[in-house]
Amino acid sequence: PAMAAAQAEAGGARSVMVGVAGLAMGDVGPVGPAMGELGAADPAVEGSEGAAGAAMVAEEPPAPPPLPGLRLVQQGAEAHVYRGLFLGRAAVAKLRVPKRYRHPALEERLSRRRMAQEARSLLRCRRAGIPAPVVYFVDYVTNSIYLEDIVDSVTVQDHIYSVQKSGNDTSGLHKLAEKMGELLARMHDEDIIHGDLTTANLLLRPPMEKLDLVLIDFGLSFISGLPEDKGVDLYVLEKAFISTHPDTEMMFQALLKTYAATSKKSGPVIKKLDEVRLRGRKRSMIG
Amino acid sequence: MEQTHRLELFPDRSVTLLLFQHVKNAAALRKKAMEGSIDGALINPAMIVDPFQILVAANKAVHLQKIGKMKTRTLYAEIIFSLSPSNNISDAFKKFGISDSDTAVLIVLVVDGDKTVNLADIASQVEGQQVSLDELPQLTDTAKVKKIYKVTPQEEKIGSLLDSVVCRMSTKDVL
Repeated sequence: PAMAAAQAEAGGARSVMVGVAGLAMGDVGPVGPAMGELGAADPAVEGSEGAAGAAMVAEEPPAPPPLPGLRLVQQGAEAHVYRGLFLGRAAVAKLRVPKRYRHPALEERLSRRRMAQEARSLLRCRRAGIPAPVVYFVDYVTNSIYLEDIVDSVTVQDHIYSVQKSGNDTSGLHKLAEKMGELLARMHDEDIIHGDLTTANLLLRPPMEKLDLVLIDFGLSFISGLPEDKGVDLYVLEKAFISTHPDTEMMFQALLKTYAATSKKSGPVIKKLDEVRLRGRKRSMIG
Repeated sequence: MEQTHRLELFPDRSVTLLLFQHVKNAAALRKKAMEGSIDGALINPAMIVDPFQILVAANKAVHLQKIGKMKTRTLYAEIIFSLSPSNNISDAFKKFGISDSDTAVLIVLVVDGDKTVNLADIASQVEGQQVSLDELPQLTDTAKVKKIYKVTPQEEKIGSLLDSVVCRMSTKDVL
């Protein structure tokens, strides 16, 4: 246990190692080269790694999976996301970033739970006919998950940007909002709470006109029947909408309208949404 | 004819698939497999939708073997178990392994590194005709697959049968 603790801390506060000197020095072995990796990272990772290395001494990035055609897509706080070929198919690999500031036992448990929740929610979505990526492989050792890559897809976020930039097709956005409302209603009717609804977590499969939506990133999802949780889910999306896409109030209204029309349990949910709106930050406490 | 694929996450292993039709000695083969004298997994092709399904099972089996967490006793048994949506090992063998009356057999081999696969050795034990993996779709019993994996009608609208099958295989032990 002492050794394990020393190893866990080795990536983080160097000062701790001094106390456990004799033991720790021997254990630095495996951790040492890994830290070295931060400097000699591969091109794709280099830019952000440099900054990351400087800012977070404690963070040790997980080793990229040896998939052919590997590209680092995103370095989130929770996980590093890669794209590559897995068993001959285009796949997305999400490798969780271990948080060294957490107690190792907690970290392990939390990491495992998040991954399990993601896998569970994805399966639940698919069984209900809600479009979400297929799970190819779950690695409980490194807490990584390998999923279907929706090739040539565009995030709804990027789609809205490009439509607004080009100036035409506002009716298309209205239809898109309706589709989103319908999809979310079906998801909530299955008691699946996404937990991180943003326009970047909704993909559009080509061709864009078909409005074929796919939900992704269920890392913060959970199962709940409570209108409160569903209301908060929608609130998160509303805030994301307003902050990322100006002049989209009409869109979100259309989304809610279709949501209310599609979901059988929408009444209490919309009510809760109104309540949640009244809470939140920067609310004037008048009346 | 046969197909070989390297497991990306386990670069020292590759998976080879061989398909045989008009097999006459399924009973003898099954016995040999149970005794462990055949170095491969003997699978009922009717339950297989696509070679990818086998690869996913093999990948999981090799992973579990490496961390010492297999649920069965051998790698080949684990591959068959990984294919099954159920956690009952004997059920997995019944549904996905071969039975005495089968006339088609899919054999899966997992080899270390660049060790050349002795295909002739395996093939000689089968009293049947080796065919290309392209023939697999014709041997698939789609209705049975849907039933065993409990694929829902809504699910069929958002993806292929293979998608449904693979998703269940990979998330089987998450709950």
